[in-house]
Amino acid sequence: MNKTLEFKNPSLIDRIKGMLSVDFYRLFHTPLFYIFLGIAAIIPALVSMGMSTTDPTTGQITGSSLENIWIMVAVEKPLYVVNNIAEYANMNMVFIFGGIMVSIFIGHDYKSGYVKQLFTTHAKKQDYMISKSLTCAFAMASMCLTYLLGTIVSGIVNQISFSVNVGSLIIAILGKMVMSLGWASLYTFLNIIFRRYFGVSIASSFFFGTGILIIGVGAIIDSLSLNSSILNLFLYGSSVNACLSSNILTLLTCIGVSLLWAIIYNVVGTYILNRSDVY
Amino acid sequence: METINAIEIRGLTKSFKGMYALNGLNMNVPVGSIYGFIGENGSGKSTTEKLICGLLVPDSGTIKLFGRDYQDPGVRVRVGALIENAGCFPGSSVYMNLKMQALNLNIENIEEEISRVLKIVRMEDSRNIKFKSCSLGMKQRIGIAMALLKDPALLILDEPINGLDTDGMRIMREILVDITKNYGCTVLISSHILGELEKIATHYGVIRQGRLIMELSAKEMDSRSKMFISLKTKDMKNTLDVLKRRYPKVKEEEGYLRVYDEENVEEIVEYLLKNNHVVSEIKKNKVGLEEYYIELMSQKEEE
Repeated sequence: MNKTLEFKNPSLIDRIKGMLSVDFYRLFHTPLFYIFLGIAAIIPALVSMGMSTTDPTTGQITGSSLENIWIMVAVEKPLYVVNNIAEYANMNMVFIFGGIMVSIFIGHDYKSGYVKQLFTTHAKKQDYMISKSLTCAFAMASMCLTYLLGTIVSGIVNQISFSVNVGSLIIAILGKMVMSLGWASLYTFLNIIFRRYFGVSIASSFFFGTGILIIGVGAIIDSLSLNSSILNLFLYGSSVNACLSSNILTLLTCIGVSLLWAIIYNVVGTYILNRSDVY
Repeated sequence: METINAIEIRGLTKSFKGMYALNGLNMNVPVGSIYGFIGENGSGKSTTEKLICGLLVPDSGTIKLFGRDYQDPGVRVRVGALIENAGCFPGSSVYMNLKMQALNLNIENIEEEISRVLKIVRMEDSRNIKFKSCSLGMKQRIGIAMALLKDPALLILDEPINGLDTDGMRIMREILVDITKNYGCTVLISSHILGELEKIATHYGVIRQGRLIMELSAKEMDSRSKMFISLKTKDMKNTLDVLKRRYPKVKEEEGYLRVYDEENVEEIVEYLLKNNHVVSEIKKNKVGLEEYYIELMSQKEEE
């Protein structure tokens, strides 16, 4: 049978649409996403349990050392130097667990060999980077919401104060959700680099997600009495900056920083993918 | 008018840690052909296929698909591949895996398309089975179904019949012939099972140490293949000794004595009768692809 061979160049939007469709389908039709949504919801409950105070004679829970439940979402003022690690045990933890989720999500692409199907039909490697970054950003932003839900429930259960500046709280939550894009792009990038070593991918995601690097830099800046707001140019800095005293400028900073890093990681990731073999 | 090949490769080179897997490979796969890609393990078959699919980055050389650069998104979206494995998620059903690939390709009538490809690979009733529960033969067919979505112009299949039983091989063979005849698809297929390949291939390419040492059509192959006479007698061992006294190329193969002298059938029978060897069965045959290949490789070894 003779057929006329036609080759139409798909537009960037068509290509991304195809890749996004399959990534979102996978996200919604496999347990991974729901497990991590659950984990994000459980974290605040676990943290608030850890902060609860007990009567030493009866062993019964008498209250919580948390004065305000929203501390579980964000710090009151942006802090870059660790004084009390508990101050960082807030919604930013979603980015640590989100990193592990991204590692598993991308790792399955390589482990199953499906990535070969994707790269055979998608000549442009940027499609992969963009699609994975957006899908995983959505997943992490969703985890922020279940984390918020978990926080509210544990606040009610433990009868902790809900008093807050609502506008700042909303901005802080939105800021952290926006930061998901930058974080997801970082994790996608890390998983591209360590694609052949699943364990290293997960470890690197965890390492970067905890913000250990930026905390170290924060300590140096603090000891040198420099302006620590420069740290807001980094993912962890901006994520911490989305605090309970946020204003609209904080949100704009989060949007700008998240977009900037997403673009940087996508460009570098695409460059690496274009020059490396797929196994 | 210049004929456009489905695949045209010039001077393709690829090395891994300083070792050349491909060393100046040239290749021409005509449109509409089933191109049997033959070579020993490590000769560079899979590397070539992965390069065509854009999975590996070449050191040098050009690859054109239907006259376009192989990195052209328009042409690559019409390439289907089964490289090493089907590339499916084991915990997902056959249907889900196909649906994901259909979404990836922006197919509009997804349900119809999935039904169509499942029918081609004869797996209409297996859509709800988890991929990990499928047999090897089924997995290979699912891989082909994935590659067939959205009407590919070129199919690249890396050892698709390896590990299949006789029935699985027959089904796979029928599917491949069906694809090329009814869907106008060009197929590049590598395999070690030359007997099976011979039944379907319209063209052959033989690769050795990263270079294509021969490229020919099945017709050319047929005309180049030597004729021989196969015969049986009651006393095969002594008959072989008798034949060897007169004919330079005689050997025992698959329960028959082979005499590579097709012109003198009557003379051979007469000669054996004179030496008290009665021929119980005799037929004219042609050297198959496998023997042709082995002979070609041994010639190259000697060179």
